[in-house]
Amino acid sequence: MENCYHCGDVLPRPSILLDQKEFCCQGCANVYSLLNSNSLKDFYQFEKTPGIKPNRGHSDKFQFLDIPEIRARYIQYEDEKIARVKLSLPSIHCSSCIYLLENLSKINGNVLTSQVHFAKKEAIIVFDRNSITLSEIANLLQFIGYEPDFGRKTEVKGVQKSFLLKIGLAGFAFGSIMLWSAPDYFGITLDNLSFRNFTAYLSFIVSLPVFLYSANEYYVSAYKAVRSRNINLDVPITLGILALYAQSTYQIFTQQGPGYMDSFAGFIFFLLIGKWFQNRTYQSLSFDRDYSSYFPVAIHRLSDKGTEIIPIEQLKEGDRIQLRNEEIIPCDSILISAEAQLDFSFVTGESALVTKKKGDLIYAGGKLIGMSIELAVKSETNRSHLTQLWNETKDKKESNTLERYQDRISRYFLVVLIMVALVSGIVWAFIDPSKIMTVIVSILIVACPCALALSSPFTLGNTLSILGKNGLYLKNTTVVEALSEITTVIFDKTGTLTDPMANHVHFSDENMTDELWHVLSELSSHSTHPLSKRIHQQLINKQSDIQLTHFIEHKGKGIEATYKGKTYQLGSSKFVGYGSSSTENGRVLFAKDGKVNQEIHIKSTFRSSISTILTQLTDKRIFVLSGDDEKDLPELIALGFQAEQCFFKQEPKDKAAFIAHRQKLGEKVLMLGDGLNDVGALGTANVGIALSEDMFRFTPSSDAILDAKHIHLLPRFFQVSQYAKVVLKVCLGFSITYNLIGLSFAISASLAPIVAAILMPLSSITVVFLSSSLIHFKYWRGIE
Amino acid sequence: MGMIYLMLIVSLCIAAFFLLFFLWATKNGQFDDDYTPSVRMLFEDEPKLKDE
Repeated sequence: MENCYHCGDVLPRPSILLDQKEFCCQGCANVYSLLNSNSLKDFYQFEKTPGIKPNRGHSDKFQFLDIPEIRARYIQYEDEKIARVKLSLPSIHCSSCIYLLENLSKINGNVLTSQVHFAKKEAIIVFDRNSITLSEIANLLQFIGYEPDFGRKTEVKGVQKSFLLKIGLAGFAFGSIMLWSAPDYFGITLDNLSFRNFTAYLSFIVSLPVFLYSANEYYVSAYKAVRSRNINLDVPITLGILALYAQSTYQIFTQQGPGYMDSFAGFIFFLLIGKWFQNRTYQSLSFDRDYSSYFPVAIHRLSDKGTEIIPIEQLKEGDRIQLRNEEIIPCDSILISAEAQLDFSFVTGESALVTKKKGDLIYAGGKLIGMSIELAVKSETNRSHLTQLWNETKDKKESNTLERYQDRISRYFLVVLIMVALVSGIVWAFIDPSKIMTVIVSILIVACPCALALSSPFTLGNTLSILGKNGLYLKNTTVVEALSEITTVIFDKTGTLTDPMANHVHFSDENMTDELWHVLSELSSHSTHPLSKRIHQQLINKQSDIQLTHFIEHKGKGIEATYKGKTYQLGSSKFVGYGSSSTENGRVLFAKDGKVNQEIHIKSTFRSSISTILTQLTDKRIFVLSGDDEKDLPELIALGFQAEQCFFKQEPKDKAAFIAHRQKLGEKVLMLGDGLNDVGALGTANVGIALSEDMFRFTPSSDAILDAKHIHLLPRFFQVSQYAKVVLKVCLGFSITYNLIGLSFAISASLAPIVAAILMPLSSITVVFLSSSLIHFKYWRGIE
Repeated sequence: MGMIYLMLIVSLCIAAFFLLFFLWATKNGQFDDDYTPSVRMLFEDEPKLKDE
């Protein structure tokens, strides 16, 4: 067995042995024994290595949950005995997770019940509030590997329920009415008027709630559109609905016929299904992650009364706050402590630690590494430097929203339709006035925008699901059109072109003695510095059980320890005493008693698929914007970029300005980036894609999220979106043809009402079938 | 022939009954999550251990 029995990671040597199974770390072994002793062994039955390596954080990391205000946010219900909380657990990924989490009560009896919502990655936990606190529950969850995420995500609206209600109602009406209208289709009721009238009244009663409730969002949307002098697709739909319903009601009450209630109910039913289908695709991803969901929810504030934990919104300028290891600076602050080591990788993309001294201004977003520090708040959370940029460009983006394809069409459609109806009415007034009403209503009904209304959500919805299956998650369907029009592609360098997971480690001396390797491996395991962690990861098979003493970490500079009387150092050349540089370009020295034994180079590597992507994107302008200096230019050129395409030392404002400049030249820009740094640029671009290694953390607002594993599919995504446009055109062509034919019959008053009634659902179904099959058959074998 | 009227009404009532049930179930959140139940039903109940 080469992998940890619990989480599947590569085993170190020596591995942790328990119960004749091997584990990669004590954390995993602990979870195993916990599950075992509570007879939850079945956890391992459902999937192989289903476990998640638990995160070793502070034990009081969740203390802020005991503050009543913060706690109240997550508690859904409570009384004297129990409390119910809904927690987001992004680590949920398989059926074993459901098993474990729903059996939480076996691990801790104070948890009464727990229910998992897999798609939303949430769990609702009911617990005995007098015996266990929310923070203890959070700790328990973290212990077993399901650390709850308390970032403030905006809730995905629960439109599901009301949709289902409307669909259910419409479906019920549709089925029932068609059932008893069957005799009418065959003309049987012409002799049996009382039956026909009876079923007609029944149809009216049953379709009334459908008219009033199921279809109401169309009325609301059309009303809003007309009020703002803007016509969208819901306007002709509403007109059609009203005309159909009015005509049918008139027919029923004057006992002239059965009306078209069956078509009416069916029409509404299919329309709603189209919308529901579209909404379903976004259930598990929420795109407008609040900027503040990136920052911790609460912070320690120091005052004369002592330390208190407060929500970040309550911070005021001048407050003194305390930050501990791995916590993030919530707002621009001035450093009070003597020194601080900060990791700004989320802001600048650089993993090199930045040292700040007392009195320095520290920008929000940096992560503290090492000893606790004290800071004085300079500006409150919503006024810091980066948020400003983000908010600015956010406003610009809203006004650039692309008009939906069909909204443009529907404007002409409506105008033309009304003119045709009017003209026909007038003409028929001269020829045969009794037919005016029939003609006008038939025109409005048969000229159904339903084909238009349905083809868009189904085509784009299917496109979205295909893209989603291949790693690209779009914010909404308008992005598909924007994607198909892109002329220029801009790459961020750090984290996008480079792969943070695959840094290359190079040792200058491969022939060190075993003992030295062991020491190096052991030494590097003690620091959380990214370079040290990377070195240790490389040396995992050189682990042994030697013990080092007198371990000291000099934050940002290096680490040292003693073994068998000798002092070993690992760090920058300045630290080791061999020069004056400090981990520049990822160079780390390893020395024994002052003598350098090893020079280690850690180089960031570029993703392997980049050159291929470049060869496939020949029809687009390409640029690279990087916050670093030119040191990587030779490698970029080797990948296939031209020197003129690369721009360095770009700050967030520069990137956004660059994009705006290109847009002024008439280009449509797509920006691919990651990190908080790019939020402004992503918003300015026509399409902003955030690249993500881990789908659920730290993704700023963007138009789309791309799973890093699928970055090589980027050229294909453009093709998919263009194909979707083609399909839309085909469906549009079909619906125009249908409308022309139908209208010609309606105008000549030779359209039997029954035919119009059947044509409507028929055309809807055809369009749905057409668009779905066109998209799925083309890509059922994958989009490569 | 008049029987048909009666049958129609009865069938309508039955359908309405099912509709009401559907509405009630939806309001109570039955259809909020359609994936987890499919996995949940595969879990086995622990056999009750005799008291020691």
